Amino acid sequence: MARAPNVCLSLVSKPENVVVVRQALTGVAECLSLNAIETNDLNTAVSEACNNVVMHAYDGEEGPLEVDVYVLADAVQVLVRDRGRGIDTRAESSEEGRPGIGMPVIDALARNAEFTQREGGGTEVRMEFATPDAKPLDPVERPDEATMKAERRSALAGQSDPAGEVVLKLAPDAIARAVLPRVLSTLAARAHFSTDRISDIQIVADVLAANAGDSIDGSHMGVEVTTTPRRLELRVGPLHAGHGESLLAAAADGLAPVVERLTDVTRVAPDDSGETLELQLIDRR
Amino acid sequence: MPSMTIAPPKRSTPGVARDDATLFVRWQQQGDEAAREALVRQYMPLARSLARRYGRSSEPFEDLLQVASLGLLKAIDRYDADRGYPFASFAVPTILGEMRRYFRDSGWAVHVPRGAQERALKVRDAQERLANERGRAPTVNQLAEYLEFDTEDVVDALQAVEAYETLSLDAPRPRADGEVVAYGATFGEVDDRYELVELDATVTAVLKHLPARERLILRMRFVDDLTQTEIAERIGLSQMQVSRLLRRSLEQLRTLTHSS
Repeated sequence: MARAPNVCLSLVSKPENVVVVRQALTGVAECLSLNAIETNDLNTAVSEACNNVVMHAYDGEEGPLEVDVYVLADAVQVLVRDRGRGIDTRAESSEEGRPGIGMPVIDALARNAEFTQREGGGTEVRMEFATPDAKPLDPVERPDEATMKAERRSALAGQSDPAGEVVLKLAPDAIARAVLPRVLSTLAARAHFSTDRISDIQIVADVLAANAGDSIDGSHMGVEVTTTPRRLELRVGPLHAGHGESLLAAAADGLAPVVERLTDVTRVAPDDSGETLELQLIDRR
Repeated sequence: MPSMTIAPPKRSTPGVARDDATLFVRWQQQGDEAAREALVRQYMPLARSLARRYGRSSEPFEDLLQVASLGLLKAIDRYDADRGYPFASFAVPTILGEMRRYFRDSGWAVHVPRGAQERALKVRDAQERLANERGRAPTVNQLAEYLEFDTEDVVDALQAVEAYETLSLDAPRPRADGEVVAYGATFGEVDDRYELVELDATVTAVLKHLPARERLILRMRFVDDLTQTEIAERIGLSQMQVSRLLRRSLEQLRTLTHSS
């Protein structure tokens, strides 16, 4: 059965990005009320698959790392993909000169795990984790596949591409609310933000995720993130025409617009079909 | 698309396996303690590596290493070399199984791990201390360095809402001058002064559903434009508590607005 993923993450295969993946998964686990053991299993196994991509997929270079998360009725399925040489299942790859243990760890923690060589290069590890007591999620409308693909590709087409260094697609709202604050906090922490500003970023993420539902044109909330020291840039879309402003104005009744107050630069960028909301958060200290 | 299920690697590294096989025979069949010790020495890095990966800072590392070592001993006792799989492919699930059991027994399935809670409180306190010393909120790197934590653990702590549920806001806390006051009392002083200022007309009915303390914090942040650290100082909370209260109040306001 064709299903829509609840989380799509597109990143560069850098070691520090494995932390971003883990934080996104922790958000999913929180949203589903998984217990700490289930969360730990999920995080450990998926980290191993991502570490394999970081270490082996591109011969020491960097390349795309893609992670998709599907929330099923009694399981969470995670796909980790690369577009390079793939994951070394021979377990000869070494860490401190010892046999790699990534694959045996995945095998031991996932309900089942499958390794696929993809046509045209790249590999995919598909892992399924039993979550018998997970809180149910709203179903996700099947997205327009062409759109999802096009956007993912634009995000991965090399360093000179204007797309963000981390691209997220999130659905439904509950997942966006659990995942976005964690991912943005992690990226902001890495960009040397103070805890004060990280809290602001969490609030902005809360407000965007909570209010995006009506504004998003499609099934998934898309967020592209780019960071430089003490600066976090977000592009949120695709939005229906006119909705960028209303997201910006989203405010708790009687207060100044929250997003506008906490961000440094805001811009609504129109495109063919709708618009994108662009935000910058800076830590001025 | 060709697909295959992951199977444990069937061919082991030559040499190492031969030595291992001898050691396993000497321990399992002849009870040679020296052989067992040699196996433990050889595979301890595997146990250590699994403790680090699986336990990732959830419990003190020494405790986890002990559990992983216990798993390793079990694996050394039970491994059947005749099956043709390398020892590691048998030891990994055995050691992980031992660690999972340990987590289950320490209540992980029902509570936030104690280690994570304690770390969250340490991060909160360190955040306050560093902010006081330096006059501005620290970065995650500074906190991680100060506490000798992973930066990821600090990020976790900043998000650890559950960990704070156990922390009563009414618990007595020391003031800067060392005097211990109940939180509610500190707040009351500020609130009295605040209530003397006329509320502006934009504060609507919805906002009034929130407790006065939360209204005050919201106002300080969004109307008066104080930083969370400044608010924390004035109210006598930690910045992380201010952060949590802000997020929670905004969430409540959203719910109230949507339902009204």
